[in-house]
Formats: sequence, C-alpha cells, structure tokens
Amino acid sequence: MVELRAEPEGRGWRHYGSRAVVYALLALITVVMLYPFYYMGINSVRSLDQYYAGHGFSLTSWRNLFHTLPIGRQLLNSTIITLSAIAIILAVSTTGGYAFAVLRYRASRLVFVAIVAAMMVPIQSIIAPEFVNLAHWGFINHRYGAILVYAALGAPFATFLMTVYFQRIPVDVVEAALIDGLGYGRIFFRIMLPLAVPAMATIAVLQFIFVWDDLLVGLLFLQNPDVRPITVGLATIPSQHLLDIPLLMAGSLISALPAVIVYLLFQRYLMSGLTMGISK
Amino acid sequence: MRKLIVGLVALAAVATAGASYAATSIGSGTVTLTLWHNYGTSGNTTATVSLAKAFEKTHPGITIKVVSQPTANYFSLLQAASISKTGPDISVQWTGLFDLKYEKFLLNLKPYFSAAEMAKINAVRYMAPNFNPAKGLLVMPLENQFYMGFYNKALFKKAGVKAVPRTWSGLFAACTKLKAAGITPMVYGADEQGIQSSPYPWYDMSYLMAGVLTPAQWKGLYTGSILWTSPKVVAQLTKWTSLPKKGCTNTDVLTKQNIVGAFTKGEAAMISDGSWDAPTYQKAMGKNVAPFALPFTNSGKNVTQYAGDGFSVMNYSKHQPEAVQFLKFVMSGPAQKIIAAAGLIPNVKGYRTKSPIQNEMLALAAKQGYAPYPMLDNVVQGEVVTAGSKQLDAAFGGDITPLAAAKSLKAALDALPASRKGPVYSG
Amino acid sequence: MHCPRAARDPSTAAETLKSDGRRPSPQEAASCGWTGRGGLPRDPLAVRRRRAGIVFTLPVVTLVGILLLYPIAQTVYHSFTVWDGITSHWVGTATYSQLFAKPEFVQVLENNALLVLSIPVAIALPLGVAFLIQSKLRGWRFFRSVFFLPTAVSWVVIAYVAIRFFADDGILQHLLNGVGLGFWHPNMLSNERSALIAVMITFVWSMFGTNLIIFLAGMATVDQELYDAARVDGAGSFTVLTKITIPLLRRFIQFAFIVTLIAAFTALFSLIFVMTSGGPGYGTTTLEFFIYEQAFQTGDFGLASTAGVILFLAVAAVGLMQLRFFKGED
Repeated sequence: MVELRAEPEGRGWRHYGSRAVVYALLALITVVMLYPFYYMGINSVRSLDQYYAGHGFSLTSWRNLFHTLPIGRQLLNSTIITLSAIAIILAVSTTGGYAFAVLRYRASRLVFVAIVAAMMVPIQSIIAPEFVNLAHWGFINHRYGAILVYAALGAPFATFLMTVYFQRIPVDVVEAALIDGLGYGRIFFRIMLPLAVPAMATIAVLQFIFVWDDLLVGLLFLQNPDVRPITVGLATIPSQHLLDIPLLMAGSLISALPAVIVYLLFQRYLMSGLTMGISK
Repeated sequence: MRKLIVGLVALAAVATAGASYAATSIGSGTVTLTLWHNYGTSGNTTATVSLAKAFEKTHPGITIKVVSQPTANYFSLLQAASISKTGPDISVQWTGLFDLKYEKFLLNLKPYFSAAEMAKINAVRYMAPNFNPAKGLLVMPLENQFYMGFYNKALFKKAGVKAVPRTWSGLFAACTKLKAAGITPMVYGADEQGIQSSPYPWYDMSYLMAGVLTPAQWKGLYTGSILWTSPKVVAQLTKWTSLPKKGCTNTDVLTKQNIVGAFTKGEAAMISDGSWDAPTYQKAMGKNVAPFALPFTNSGKNVTQYAGDGFSVMNYSKHQPEAVQFLKFVMSGPAQKIIAAAGLIPNVKGYRTKSPIQNEMLALAAKQGYAPYPMLDNVVQGEVVTAGSKQLDAAFGGDITPLAAAKSLKAALDALPASRKGPVYSG
Repeated sequence: MHCPRAARDPSTAAETLKSDGRRPSPQEAASCGWTGRGGLPRDPLAVRRRRAGIVFTLPVVTLVGILLLYPIAQTVYHSFTVWDGITSHWVGTATYSQLFAKPEFVQVLENNALLVLSIPVAIALPLGVAFLIQSKLRGWRFFRSVFFLPTAVSWVVIAYVAIRFFADDGILQHLLNGVGLGFWHPNMLSNERSALIAVMITFVWSMFGTNLIIFLAGMATVDQELYDAARVDGAGSFTVLTKITIPLLRRFIQFAFIVTLIAAFTALFSLIFVMTSGGPGYGTTTLEFFIYEQAFQTGDFGLASTAGVILFLAVAAVGLMQLRFFKGED
C-alpha cells in the first residue's frame, strides 16, 4: 500500500493509475474474502475420490450428507429456535426500550443500567450454573430451553438499542397522543411499534446471524441429535465422517446458507444498526 | 358463521392429531432405549448396530436407538448429559480407570450378574469398582482388543527387511533399510478413532512402559512410587521421540489425516493402531498385512491386550431392567458370534474370532509367551492421561523435550489428592 | 396561583423544574395538586405512567434477571467452591490460588494476551481499506457487502475451511508450492505457537468486515471540506491519512478496538472447538475454551466458575471503558 501514498503532490489518489491499483487491491481482498465459499462449493460437488484427485463432478457427497445428518430436521430446528428467540427478543426489548425511554419511573434508571450491564456477561462465564439451572428445571433437550437462553443473551443489547431509538422520537408525538386520550399501552402498540420497525429489523438480522451460527448453547442444552440445530449438527458429525472432506464442505454450505441469505437480503439494516451504536 | 366453521374444523384437526399421537405413545407398550456410542471406526459400530438389531428381534417390545456421538467430545457430552440426567440409557464406556471416573453415573450390575457369569468375562477386574470383581460390575465389555502394530509385507520385502522388528535396534535397522528404499517406515497422524485431532500417544506409551516395567510395577506409576520422570521412563521416551527425528516417520506426525488410508495404500510400511482396525486392514490389504507387537523394548516380549470398552447402564435411566437385558444379551452366544463376525475378538471365554490377524495376535500372547499388559491409559489417572495426550504429542512433534513431557505427567499426578493415588483404585 | 405548565417532556411533567428554573415550592406543589407520598407529586398521569413503566419492563427484567444476572451471581459464588455440578462446598480463595498455580492456566492467559496483540492488525487492515474506499469509489457498496459477508457465516463453517487451509496438504501449502516455497512446511496446526497464529489469522480475516463497516461509518462523518483543504495545501494521501483521518476517527478506532477485543475473548469458542480443540497442548486454549474444558471435560464446575469470574472481569473492564468514552464523547 505504500506505493499508493507516494503520489505526485496535490493530485490525490484519484489519479487514474492509482485508481486501477486500488481496484486491483480490492479485487484481491474480494478473492480472499470469498475464497472459502468457492472452496466449499467446488469441493462439495465431488466424491471423496474425486476430491483427492482434484477434479470431477458428482453429487454423491450431497447424497451422503443427507444420509449422515438429519439435515431437514436440523434445519427445521434451527429455524424454530432462531425465529422464536428473535420473537422473544423483539417483544422484551421493545417493551423495555419503550419503558426506559418514555415511561420513566423511580427505579427505571437503575434497572436500565442493570440490563445494559448484563451485556457484559459473556455466555462462557455463566455456562456452568446456567446448565445446572436448566437441568433442574427440566429444560435440557427441549428447544424452548435453548430459545430462552438465546433470548436472554440477546435482550440487553436489543433493549439498549431500542431505548436509544425510542429516545430519538420527539416527545410531542407521545404528548399529543396523551392529550387525545390514548393510554400508554395503546400508544405503544399504535404509535411506537410501527415507528420502531427499522430498529426491530436491525435487531432481527443481528440476532438471526448470532443464534443461527451459535454452537455452545446448542451443544450443551440440546444433546439429542433430533433437537439439534444445523450448526451444532455440523460440529458434532460422527467422527468417521470427519475425513470425508466433500461431505463436510456440503454440510458447511448448507448450514451457512440461510444466515448468508438473510444477510444479503437485509444487509442495510445490519449496517445501520452497527453504526447506530456509535454515531451521534 | 364462516369463521366459526373454520375454527371448529381446525379444532377437530388438532384434536385428532393429538389423539393419534397420544394413542401411539400410550397404547404401544414399547420401551425405547437410547444407546450412545463413540465408535468412530467401522468394526465396533457395525457390531453395535448388529447387536441392537438382533436384540430387538429376540426381545419384541424393546427398541434400541443407537446414537453416534463424535469421539472427540463424547465424554464431555456424556458427562453434561448425566449431570442434567438427560443422557442415554446405555452408554459406551472405556474400562479401567475411565469407567471409574464416571462411577457415580453408572449402574452397578452386581445384582444382575452371577459370579459364574462374571468369571466368563476376560480380565473382568478392570470393569469392576476398585478393580475388585467382588464389588460388582460396571461395564459389559464388547470385545477384547490389542494395541498393536501392523506392517506391510510387500514393503518389508522390497526394502529387504527380513525379520519383523522385536526390539529397538531391530526397529531402527528396519527404518534405515526402508528409508533407503524410499519408503516411509511408520506413519503417524490424527487419531483414527477421532479421540483427538492429533495422534493418541497411549498406544505407543503402553508398549514403552511395558518395555521397562512389569505389569505389577505399573501400579507404581499410578501411586507415584515409580516416578514418571525416572530415568528408565525418560530413556524410553527419548528413544520414542527420536523416531521422527531419525526419519522413521512421516514429517507431519501430529496432523496427517487419514493415516489408515495412507497405510492401506502402501504409503508407509508400519502403523501403530488397535485391533479394532484389523478388519479394515484385512479387507484392504488381504494377505499383505500382518500384525506385530510394537518393538519399543530392548529385550522383553510384551503385548498390550485388553478389553478396552463396553456398555454400561446409566443409573438415571428410566428403563433399567430393559437396559440390563441388553447387557446380558451381549454375553450370550448369538451376540458373541455377531461380534466375531464384525471382525472383533470376543471377550467372553469360549468364543473365537474369525479374523486371521486377531488370531495371530492371540497366538503371540498364548503360545509365544508374550506377557499381556492392560492398556496404560486405562489404568492411570484421567488427569495424567489428559496431560499426556497433549504433552507426549508435543514431545513427539519436537516441540518440547521428552523430559519436559515426563515432568508434565508427574505434575498432573502430584496435583491430585492422596485419595486418587492410593492403594485403592479410584476414578 | 399560577401552576407551571407541564414541561415539554410529558414523562416528567410534574418533576421538572419550573420554567424559570426553580423547583416548585411545597405550597405551590400542594395547591397545584402535586404532592403525594414522600413529597412526590401525585399527578394521576405520572402514576399511570409509572405503573405502565413497571409493567412494560417486567418481561425484559424477568428474562435477563433469571437467565443472565442470577447465573453470574451463581458463578461468582461458586468460584469459591469445589463443585462438580451436583454437590458443592465452600473453600474460599483456595480455588483462585489453585487456578493461578496451574501452569496450563498461565499459558491460557498468555494465549489471551497474544490474541490482544493481533488486534492492531485487525484494525489497521480495515482502516486502510476503508480509507481507500470511503464512499467515493464506484461500486463501494458491492465491496462493502462482500467484505462483510464472512460475519454472517458461522465460526463452525469457517473452522472447517480453515483446517483445510492450514493443513500440511492444504491450501496454504499449495500456495507455497506454487510460488516455489514448497520446501517450507509450516504445518501450522501441529505446533502450539503456530496453531495460535493460525487461529489469529482466521480471526483477523473474519473481523475485517465488521471493522470495515465501523470505519466506513466513521469516514462518512468526516467533513469533506477538511480533505479538500488539505489537498489544496498540497498534502499527499499518506499525510491526509495520518494527520487528519486517524485523529478524527479516534472514537471509531477505539470502538473497533473494543468490539474486536470482546470478540477475541468471547466469540472464538466455536472456532477453537472445531479447528483445534484447544490444542496442540494448550496452545490454542483461550480463557473461554478453558472454562468449557474445565466444566465439561474435567467435570470441575467450581474451577470453571473461578475462570468464568476472571473472564467476566476482563470483559466488564473493557466494556466499562467503552461506556466511559461513550459518555465522554457526548
């Protein structure tokens, strides 16, 4: 990158030659970023022998994958768990954010700080007692156990985001509604919620990726392969298949695809959410 | 009105579905047992699945759901599931100190097996609490196993290796000849059982320690009366870690994948493995493959023969009687025949294996006077095994010295309370 | 008596200062009907609002309280106990001394420290690229999309591909062979130190997109006029980068640093689990993986809790730094 800087003074980097270099560099980085997908794709459509040979096309590995892992079932589990967790997170973060931003009460500042402080709690720090607690309550091996844990993990940041978002809504809006005789509940459902849709979309996309791609919670709380999400299933492939690289690549692709699709469809929400946290 | 009709239809649909679900689960009378195993390799998995199927045929009303868990994290998953009491009814356990570690989750089978029945199990003491059969039984072994070496006859011939190595000097001599012929003498790599993504050093360690200590002296390693850092032990480790340095092995000893495949394809002349892979080698190489005892010794004749794993009933199982029935079934004649047919060595007295390789190893022990040793990792503390699995590999790969590895074993032992290294074996 | 108008913010109608800056006197408050218990105004609207507030925060408080705050309290408690998941008994700070006396733990902490060393790289690379792209380059949105894509992919998947990359017969080796360096077999996953470097490289690769977005957002806040003025003064690109952009982006760089650090400490579990299982030796066992190992492989929940407290303190410290400069910048 050094050569880019040593430009004729005053012309800046918009000079044609350097622009080509910039594009070349960006193209190189694109290759580096996308290469894993290419690698997964090309190797998943080879049989094991073809993989070792380095060329060939076959759908055997995909067929083997469906025999090795209950793919359909695990994809379904992932979907149920992810969407349910998102629903709960949205429910508690919008109500909580609304309360912290608009319905301030005596202790609300303290409670808000407590909730936001919970963002600092890494799942690994609490995994031991969390596991024992859930075992006592009989939540292990049930999807709702994992759903609740994911919801709790995502709630603090989501609530923080919603609070900030609601705080930006002009007070006149609420004031006018109050004068019109609306109760605080109605105000929430009729006014605040519709306004919050962009922020909710951001949270939904962020949490989709986080929950869909997670391993630790699913690994420990969903021990039966039947209730496992796809990411956990991929990480716990029976050992005899660990050497079947094409099969692993096929499994990796199929487990990564939904989150990638969600990302591609909703990326602007993701970008705005990330920057909302730090911009003015 | 339309809404009402739609609602009623929906209600009826749900009710029917619910009723049919209830009917199948209440009125069926089937007991479903869950069995977890960590057998990555085909022989044991085949045997387990066949046993389950045969059991279901002779015991209508009981079905067994065989679940294959990844080997690398099997025990942590099982432990977690046991703490939350959501684990399987039957689980595969490794015998010796391994099963003693989980003793608090295992059902003691003493009430269900008579003394006569227990006597039929080879080396039953390693499956009992405190290695004392009078105290009961914790694991029903699946098969008898060897840690052993396999060699490629054709490659030996090609390099002019006339005699199968029986000592260190023989091994180094064979290495030199094989290297000269352009053949990799020994291949090491990621553990084929999938225990970890690097070699499992305890196959070799068993032979290393058997080379300088008697079986009785192994208890000294457990209690600490014989130090891991003693000169004899370190000398063996030094010779062992010199193998990669001398070019007796492939270069990527810690990470090579698919070493079984490499051996069967003839890329290397020797491999250190277990008898559970004998069927695979037999099938791929036919008469070209033969077994030998790993020659990590100066003069002795010893072989590691041991019933390494089997089935246990978990004491939180809700179907203990049925689960025990399966374990008893494993001891029966038909079951032992299934085990032999899968290429494994039956562990119940009176049954034979069909596999030529296995029989050769059994002959070594029986006729040629080789002293049988248990598998070392089954009779030393789990913490030492864990430390060794990492540090012995590091030494083999040249990262640390053999003495440093020995020190880490000693440190792991020293860190344990006295109750864990006393005269009474405890997990 | 003139009762002050409700303040602009209806949520604090009765508590705010009067428009002239004075608090209502007790007489004023009384005659305007504001006093209630404890001298607080008894404005029926405020009461309704407060009740609604409590009801609306109940869900999030219950969820987070039971599943996040209660367990962290338990972790702190159990960090002083010997616990196998079933029974526990108190031993005080013996667990902490036991933990720090373990040589493996010292190595674990070293690993975390080494991870921190990779963060400057994880920041410098995207910073440079953000500078190149800004929002001026045509097609920048496409690049932004592509570079952020790895963030959507699970660490499990990334790990499987990373294994193939760093294996001795893998992609890296093929690249080396291709450029004539085939004699060199780094075989990175087989050696403690190099395995950690492999993990760090994978980590930097994955964080690239996240930090790029942060810096692009930051660049967008920089006034274009400043750039133009600098160019008029004859500054080259490098000078612009170092003297103008970086100082202005200080806040964003700090934010990226914190995001990356927290990710390094808490988000790598899946990567390590699949890629190296913490090995070889303890070479890639970071604190978060060590906790899992202690609890679920060794069965020592007490020691896992002790390590969990240390991880929590580290993350909390970093997080507090984040909040502090948040407030400072406002």
